[in-house]
Amino acid sequence: MGTKNKKIAIIVSILLVAGSLGYLAFGNFGENIVYFVTPSEVKAFTAEAYSKKVRVGGMVVKGSLKTQPEPVGLTFELTDGASTIPVAFQGIPPDLFKEGQGAVVEGQWRDGRTFHSTMIMAKHSEDYMPMELKQAGVELPKKDFMKTLSP
Amino acid sequence: MIIEIGHFSTIVALVLSVFGMASAALALKTRNPDWARSGRMAITLIFVLLGVGMLSLVYAFIIRDFSVLYVANNSNSKLPFFYTVAAVWGGHEGSLLLWVFILSVFSTLAVWLHWRTQPTIMPYLIAVESAIIFGFLCLIVFLSSPFERLLPVPLDGKDLNPLLQDPAMVMHPPMLYMGYVGFSIPFSFAMAALFSGRLGEEWIKVTQRWSMFAWMCLTTGILLGGYWAYYELGWGGYWGWDPVENASFMPWLVGTAYLHSVLVQEKRKMFKVWNLFLIIVTFSLSLIGTFLVRSGVLTSVHSFATDPERGLYILIFVGTVIGIAFGALILRSNKLKSQVEMDSLVSRESIFLFNNLFFLVAAATVFLGTLYPLILETLQDAKVTVGPPYYNAVFMPIALGLLFLMGIGPYIPWRKASVASLKKSFSTPLLAGAVIVVLLFVTGIHNLYALAGGYVVTFAGMAIVLDFGKISQLYAQRNGSNIFQGGLAAFTANQRRYASMLTHIGVLVLVVGIIASTVYQTEKVVSMRVGDEFAIGDYRMKLAKIHEVAGGNWNAQEGVFQVFKGEDLITELRPQKRIYSATQTPTTESAIYATKMGHVFLTMPEVSEDGVAVARGVLNPLVLWVWGGGVIMGLGVILNILRPRKKEE
Repeated sequence: MGTKNKKIAIIVSILLVAGSLGYLAFGNFGENIVYFVTPSEVKAFTAEAYSKKVRVGGMVVKGSLKTQPEPVGLTFELTDGASTIPVAFQGIPPDLFKEGQGAVVEGQWRDGRTFHSTMIMAKHSEDYMPMELKQAGVELPKKDFMKTLSP
Repeated sequence: MIIEIGHFSTIVALVLSVFGMASAALALKTRNPDWARSGRMAITLIFVLLGVGMLSLVYAFIIRDFSVLYVANNSNSKLPFFYTVAAVWGGHEGSLLLWVFILSVFSTLAVWLHWRTQPTIMPYLIAVESAIIFGFLCLIVFLSSPFERLLPVPLDGKDLNPLLQDPAMVMHPPMLYMGYVGFSIPFSFAMAALFSGRLGEEWIKVTQRWSMFAWMCLTTGILLGGYWAYYELGWGGYWGWDPVENASFMPWLVGTAYLHSVLVQEKRKMFKVWNLFLIIVTFSLSLIGTFLVRSGVLTSVHSFATDPERGLYILIFVGTVIGIAFGALILRSNKLKSQVEMDSLVSRESIFLFNNLFFLVAAATVFLGTLYPLILETLQDAKVTVGPPYYNAVFMPIALGLLFLMGIGPYIPWRKASVASLKKSFSTPLLAGAVIVVLLFVTGIHNLYALAGGYVVTFAGMAIVLDFGKISQLYAQRNGSNIFQGGLAAFTANQRRYASMLTHIGVLVLVVGIIASTVYQTEKVVSMRVGDEFAIGDYRMKLAKIHEVAGGNWNAQEGVFQVFKGEDLITELRPQKRIYSATQTPTTESAIYATKMGHVFLTMPEVSEDGVAVARGVLNPLVLWVWGGGVIMGLGVILNILRPRKKEE
C-alpha cells in the first residue's frame, strides 16, 4: 500500500467510526425527548398523542388521594386550575408528595380517560433549593430506569 | 464582627487578583523578575486572605450566628456540629467561596513548586490563575456573597437540607471542586505555552501529575455523589443521568480523553493541537459544570429571570474564558503542525485516537442531553426533559468499545504492529473472553449486555494479567527470586505503566459492578403490617415491629425487619422514615445488609396511621464492586503520582 492509499484508509476508517458513533448518539435523540404539559393540554390530546410519554405538572387536588395496597400505588387528581385529570400511579411516591401541593407526573394519557403514571416528582417548598439533588426544585423518585437497558 | 473581617479579606483578595494580573503583565513587559516575584506574593496572599474568609464563615456557622443570611438559610440551632461545618458548602454562595479558596491553594502550590524549574512560564501562570480567581471573586463579592447580614435577625435558621446531612455529602463537594480546580493548573500551563509560543512537550510533562491528581479527585467526587444517592435517596440506584450528575460527568469524560491523548504527544510528538483543545474543553466544562449546578439555571431557564445578573455574569465569564483560550489556540495553530504522521491504523497511536473519539462522543451525548432542554426552553418556551433511556442506549456500546480498546492499547506497539505481534499479544485474551462468555451462558446469564460486558472485561483483564505475568517472570529470572518478588521489582521499575494498569483493573471491577447491579437488580414493593413478611430472591423479610426513635434533630418511625435466608435468621434491618424537626421534612433512610456478592437494600417509604407500612426491598448483586473499583482506580493514580522521578522528566 502506498502512503497515499494508507492515508485515505486511515481517514476513511476514522470517518466510519465517527459516523457510526454519531448516529448512535444523535440518531434516536428526538424519540427520547419528553415534553412537559399542563392538565388542560392533556385534556385536549387527540388519539395519536395517547401513547406518547409526557410529564404533567399541576396541583394535587385536596381529598382526591386514595392508596391501593396491591400492587402498591395510588390514585389522585391533578389540576392546573382550569382542568383536572385523574391519575393512576403505580409505585412509591416521593417523600414530599402531599395533597394540596405541586407535583409532576410522568406517564401516558393511555385511554383518553385516566393518566397512567409510573413516576411522580414532588415540588420542594420554596425554602429549599435542593442542591446536589434535583432539577426544578423537584424530588425525583428515580425509577429503576436501569431496567431500560435490558434488550 | 468576625464575618466582616472575612468579607473584607475577600474584597482585598479581589483587589490583589487585579494586582496579580497587572504584575504578571509588567513582568512580561519589563522582563524584571521582581514583578514576577510580587505576582507570586499576590497569589500567596490571596490564599491567606481567602483562608481567613473561609474560617470566618466556618466560625459564623459554629457560633450559629443567624444574623448572617447564608447561615440562617443553611443551618439551625439543632444541627449537629459535624454538619454545621459542612453546611459552609451546603448552598450556592458558600460553595463558590470554597471553589475559589481551593483554586487559591492550588495556584499557590503551583507557583512555589514550579518556580525554579519553569521561570519563563511563571508570569503567564500567575496571570491566568489571577484572572480566574478575579472572575470568581467578582461573582462572590458583587452577586452572591455568603457574608451578607440579615435584618431583623431570625430566632433560628431554616436548617440544612436534611438530605445533605450525611457524611458522603460532606466530602462530595470538596472532592469534586478539587477535581474541577485541579484541571485549572494544566489549563494555565497550556495557556502559558500558547501565549509564550513554547509549544513543545514541556507543559505536558510538567502538568502530568497535576492532571492525574485532578482526575482522581473528580472521579472520587463523582463516585461519592453516587454513593450518597444510593443510600440516601432510597431508590436503590446510584446514577440517574440527572443534569447535576451530568454536569460533573462531562469534564470527567473529556479529562479522561486528555489523560490518554497527552501520552501520544509525549512519545510521538503528535496530537499537539488536539491536546491543547482537550485541556481547554476540560477546564471549560469544569466551569460550566460548576455554574450549571451553582447558578440554579438547571432548575429552569426562568430561574435566570429570578437572578438575571448572576446568570448573565456566568455566561459572560465562561464565554470570555472559552473565547480567549480558543482565540489563542487558533492564532498559534500554524506553529502547531506536528512533523509526524500516523503510519498505520494498526498502532498504538490509532488506538488512542479512537479512544478519544469514543470519549468525545460520550461527552457530546451528555452535553446535548443536558443542555438541549435549556436551549429549547429559551428559544421556544417548551419544557422538555431527556430521559435516562437515551443515555443508557448510547453509553452501553461506547463503554464496551472503550473497554475493548483498553485491552489493546497498552500492548500494541507504536507506529505499526505486525500480524505476528498481534497474534502473540491478543490470541489468548480473545480466547479467554470467549471461554468466559460460554461459562456465563451455561450458568444462566443470558442478557446480551452482561455477556458482551463479560467478554470485553475478560479480554482487557487477561491482556493486563498476561503482560504483567510475563514481565514479572523475566525480573524473577534475572534476580533469581520468586515470581512475587519479580512482580514487585517489575512494578517499581515501570511504576508509571503498571500503576496505570492498576487503574485499568479498577475500571474493570467498576464496570462489572455496574453491569451486574444494573441488569440483575431485583426490586419488590409491598404494603404490610407488623407480623407480615415478603420474599425477595433467597430472602424473606419479616416486619417484627414498628417503633419511634429520635435523633438530635429528627424523629423517626423505625421498622424492624428480620431477614431470613431459608429458615435461618441472618440479620435485622432497620430502615427509617424520618421527620426533621426544623423543617418538618420527611426523609427515607435505607438499611443495607452486605452479602458476599452484593447488597440487600431495604427502605420503608411510608407508614400510615393505622399501622400499614410500605416496604421496598432491592437486591443489588455486586454493587459494592462499583466503589471497590473506584478505590482501586484511586490507588493506581496515587502510585502513579508518587512514582520516582526519572531523568527525562
